[in-house]
Amino acid sequence: MLEADGLKKSFGNIVATDDVSVQFGKEDGEMVFIVGPNGAGKSTLVNLLTGLLEPDEGAVTLDGQDITTMRADQRVHEGLVRSFQVVKVFEEMTVRENIRTALLIKRKKTGGLGPRAIWEGLFSLDDEHEAIERTIDDLVEQFRLDDVEEAIAEELPHGDRKLLDVAMSFALDPNYLLLDEPTSGVSAQETDYVIETIVEVSESQNVTTVTIEHDMDLVKNHADRVIALHQGSVHGEGPPTMLETDQELRRLLLGVEE
Amino acid sequence: MVTSSIALLEANSVLLQSGIIEGLQNLLQPDTFIVQTINGIRFGFILFLIAAGLTVILGILDVLNLAHGELYALGAYVAASVGGFLVGEGTAAIMAPPSSFDPVTSFAFVGVLILAALISALILVPIGVVMETVFIRPIYERDQVYQLVLTFALLLIIANMIEFIWGSNPQKLDLSTKTAVNDIPTFELLGLSGVPSIVTLIMVVSLVVGVGLFYFFSKTKTGRIIRATAIDREMATALGVSPDRTFTLVFALGAFLAGFGGAMELVRTAANPGMGESALVLSFVVIVVGGLGSLRGAVVGALVIGVLQNWMTVVEPSLESAAPFAVMVIVLLVKPEGLFGTWGERT
Amino acid sequence: MTPGISREDGQLKIRIMKGMELTVRETLGLVAGLVILFNLPTITTLAGDLPIRQRPIYRGIVFGLAAVGLNLLLRHSELVSFGHAAFFGTGAYTVAVLVSDYQVKSATVLLVAAIVAATLMAALIGYFTLPHTGLYFALITLAFGQLLFSIVKGQRALGGTDGISVRTGEAGVTILEQFPTLFGIQLTGQEVPNTILLWFTLVVVIISMLVMYRIVKSPFGRALDAIGQERTRARFLGLPVKRYVWAAFIISGIYGGIGGGLFALYFRSVAPGETLQVFVSGDILYMAILGGFGTLTGPLIGGIVLETLANIANEVVFTGPAGETQMGRFITGAVLLLIVFVFPKGIVGSLKPGGRVFEGAKTLKNDPTVAGPWFRQFGQVTVEAAKRSVKNVRYLLFGVK
Repeated sequence: MLEADGLKKSFGNIVATDDVSVQFGKEDGEMVFIVGPNGAGKSTLVNLLTGLLEPDEGAVTLDGQDITTMRADQRVHEGLVRSFQVVKVFEEMTVRENIRTALLIKRKKTGGLGPRAIWEGLFSLDDEHEAIERTIDDLVEQFRLDDVEEAIAEELPHGDRKLLDVAMSFALDPNYLLLDEPTSGVSAQETDYVIETIVEVSESQNVTTVTIEHDMDLVKNHADRVIALHQGSVHGEGPPTMLETDQELRRLLLGVEE
Repeated sequence: MVTSSIALLEANSVLLQSGIIEGLQNLLQPDTFIVQTINGIRFGFILFLIAAGLTVILGILDVLNLAHGELYALGAYVAASVGGFLVGEGTAAIMAPPSSFDPVTSFAFVGVLILAALISALILVPIGVVMETVFIRPIYERDQVYQLVLTFALLLIIANMIEFIWGSNPQKLDLSTKTAVNDIPTFELLGLSGVPSIVTLIMVVSLVVGVGLFYFFSKTKTGRIIRATAIDREMATALGVSPDRTFTLVFALGAFLAGFGGAMELVRTAANPGMGESALVLSFVVIVVGGLGSLRGAVVGALVIGVLQNWMTVVEPSLESAAPFAVMVIVLLVKPEGLFGTWGERT
Repeated sequence: MTPGISREDGQLKIRIMKGMELTVRETLGLVAGLVILFNLPTITTLAGDLPIRQRPIYRGIVFGLAAVGLNLLLRHSELVSFGHAAFFGTGAYTVAVLVSDYQVKSATVLLVAAIVAATLMAALIGYFTLPHTGLYFALITLAFGQLLFSIVKGQRALGGTDGISVRTGEAGVTILEQFPTLFGIQLTGQEVPNTILLWFTLVVVIISMLVMYRIVKSPFGRALDAIGQERTRARFLGLPVKRYVWAAFIISGIYGGIGGGLFALYFRSVAPGETLQVFVSGDILYMAILGGFGTLTGPLIGGIVLETLANIANEVVFTGPAGETQMGRFITGAVLLLIVFVFPKGIVGSLKPGGRVFEGAKTLKNDPTVAGPWFRQFGQVTVEAAKRSVKNVRYLLFGVK
């Protein structure tokens, strides 16, 4: 269980999140969507959960363990993985190399964090690990990147870059995956393709996926649960039908009076 | 790690302790203290003239100009020639240094000296323009590492050209020039001996240039355009400002300031081959302490470094050159953005 | 896997060790380079009055080794160190102090001590640089380098600006007997010991290069690449970024320390201006770029070329208004300009496939007539640059109208 308890974070005078408490079950394959108008604190919440930011008040617990002050890279080892709104891949590497990099921590001998692991890492080659190469094959196929696996990341079309980004997150074998607007900047045609692939893979691997999303049609189609944020607080939480029934929420999200 | 380095510093200070306490006592003698502080302020003003250009170029062009120190040196060398030409017995000389103090002639002579410094600094403007348009402009978009190579190459070339033109012997003005300025009473009127009037001259003139610089950036249209470009290059372009011309102007301004600093310093001392390098490295310290790109920071940084270094000459000469870098390290560790954030938002 | 020959995509590959396969060209270059370096004493004798001398080439090798270390940070973590002289100087001074103050004479012991000292120095400085990237990283390494330089310069115990000699100063022994020894041979700077030291140095360099090759090809090297290209993402892939950068910084410093230690053994005197000053740091950085910072051997070759070039260029003397002037810095500057504008990948990088020289030669071979347009283009660029600067000077002096 990933749990936020009373998270509060302000930047100067601006309160980004105010007493936010949410819960996510472990590996139940639940698709949770976080919605809310701009400035509602959606990204801040994800940043607080994943360790990019530290909260002013409140706590984050992961499977009963308090991880509020745990380093971001250590949280990844605990199965808490995220992606970013702007694609963050290694631009000068090929698709395969990108995924191989994501799999670095999965390598028995070299994945550890101690000086010993670094030392041992010096005595093995980057691309000689057969199990790793097979995992890359699988991921490349799952995310339909097989045609471009030897292409340099910066030369890929935007949709493929997004998929690569998500594929790298899945490579880490997450229990909880937090995606910050995986469809931002993706063309209308590619959007469905990207989100469907994400849903397909997370269901098949039982990953709890938390996604920030602006496209309400996508949310309605794929969500098991919706969390709506407004002005830093949780406005409401419930099934996707909430988007239809909660008139105030509709007004907030669409910015129109009905 | 932190504790071990502190232990190291402590061990070091124990070794020097007796000397430092004695040095501090020396520094705190009222006369010594005032003289050293005034000298430090003078040095600080010169450092500001150099660092101002460096920091503005960094803030706006996003280029760390390693050749900037050589522009300062070049200013001094050019001033040695221009000054030697305008002042003295030569055919083109405007006037010879008066042999004793006389209000009218002495001040007129100071005017000629300032004119010579201005002319020297103006000679650096086209050099700055060529550096920016020919060499630096094609690589704005490239990896920052190439800027460091390019401006270092220019440093080497300018330094070698200086030696080619003026040789490796120090260049200075006739002693009579300095004497003529020192004959004018300034600090002596306040009952303070030990600060020659040449120092007063450098301080007053640099102060005027410095104030003019702030006026330029805050009150004139061109100055505001430059600041706008620094804050948001794309916005400025959208408003019809040509970034190319702004960049050239900024670089030329930097060259002018460095050259002027060099020319003013020449009246007091000699132009010598190593002066560009040490000026460059100290300007780094100044702009880091003040905050990269901040003009106001450069003032504070320059004064802090200038005064500190002059104090150290009395307190512990062996640490004189280490002190600025110790300050730089501390600032980078404690407040990496420097004392005054970034350029543009404030002047 | 043992050394051998294989054929891949119709290209002959020569395998030196596990994971290290070279093309025929690369192998030939490597062999030729090694033959030349090992026979340097003979070559310099044969060269007679030609400006090929062992001293600048040796300088190039040891500074180049420091540049190889610097390149680990530059190429992989994309961090520009402007203070690498700190480690070179630490290595050099460690050797000098151990010999002159503690009468340690074994060159191998001295070298190990240099490595240990450089490791500690790099661990200390590296720790403080960890939060920084970009220009701030360059400036903080510079600040630490200059701090060390200024402190050493001010210490009378370390000889101040003059530095210290690498000899024991024992009473009752001739000067020649006071120098360190390598395998029982006194390193007096004479021909035979110098040759032995050169060979020893080359062996150290070869081992260091092989180790660096493995580091770069290892998962650790891959992690550094990732950190350089996208630091935040690397962190959220679970990589302990700071620890990795710290390790890279220390390794990088060790290479500087080895270079400095060898420098002290060969030149037998160590001064701050020559080993610690900011422009020494600059030189180490420019060696890496000159040789090609995208390559493994580039920084080493860059070191040898830069030092040899500076040596030869200083023999070019122009008579100016102030008499005769050595034009070494001017020529070095011009070569660096050439690297920036024409061969950004450096010497080795340009010779490789995708590099300017390699591709240019291929085009020229297929169609020699392209040479004409090339020169025309070069002329045009030059004329345009000149026009542009005249125009700008006019704008500035007379305004736009």
